[in-house]
Amino acid sequence: MKNLRMKAARAARDLSQQELAEAVGVSRQTINAIEKGDYNPTIKLCVSICRTLGKTLDELFWEG
Amino acid sequence: MERYHAGMLCGLTVGILAGLLFVAFLFKKKILDMHFDERQERARGKAFQYGFFTMIISTYFYAVSDIMLGHWCDTMVGVSLCIALAICVFAITCILKDAYLSLREKPRTLMTFFALLSIINLGFGFMFHISPGLTENGVLTYRAVNPIMGTATLVILIVYIVNYLLRLREEEE
Repeated sequence: MKNLRMKAARAARDLSQQELAEAVGVSRQTINAIEKGDYNPTIKLCVSICRTLGKTLDELFWEG
Repeated sequence: MERYHAGMLCGLTVGILAGLLFVAFLFKKKILDMHFDERQERARGKAFQYGFFTMIISTYFYAVSDIMLGHWCDTMVGVSLCIALAICVFAITCILKDAYLSLREKPRTLMTFFALLSIINLGFGFMFHISPGLTENGVLTYRAVNPIMGTATLVILIVYIVNYLLRLREEEE
């Protein structure tokens, strides 16, 4: 399932996939795969993304 | 003949040492880098698994072909064929999963490196083909190792370039 909330949060911060990838220390393809729902990141990477985008885990990754 | 084999062994050892030194130099200059992210590590693990099983299966088929068809190539050529196949499977799986390049490596550097490797090895292969030496009494000699490795790097390079162009087009759309 696509992670549109993460994509929106990234866009709101005016960050490209490459910039977010560099900020969290992964490849651009990995950010792309997470947003497309092709890859389930570890909790460590989720936390890192949340910190960079200023969001909580619930806001970005919880499918309630 | 003994001196010939000792010379071969010395040449091989020096070649391997030179190769190791070259790779160490590439690491030192940060041209080669082994820092991968978690998705890449996982994808590379899977690719390594495929490569490993390819190596086992191809070694089995090489052994069977040697028994069934008789001695058709030097042992070194057979082993090189199995290694080249395994490397191709590993590299192509990594490329298709976007996990071949590490975080700091540049696509252009890799493409240049593989193109050079292919040209040098296929060039040697062509040279050996013109001045007979590739086969002796219908048996592939150790000289066939160069064209085998050249073909392997060329296949990897082609897959990399095609994948690279397809991803670029996808991103543009």
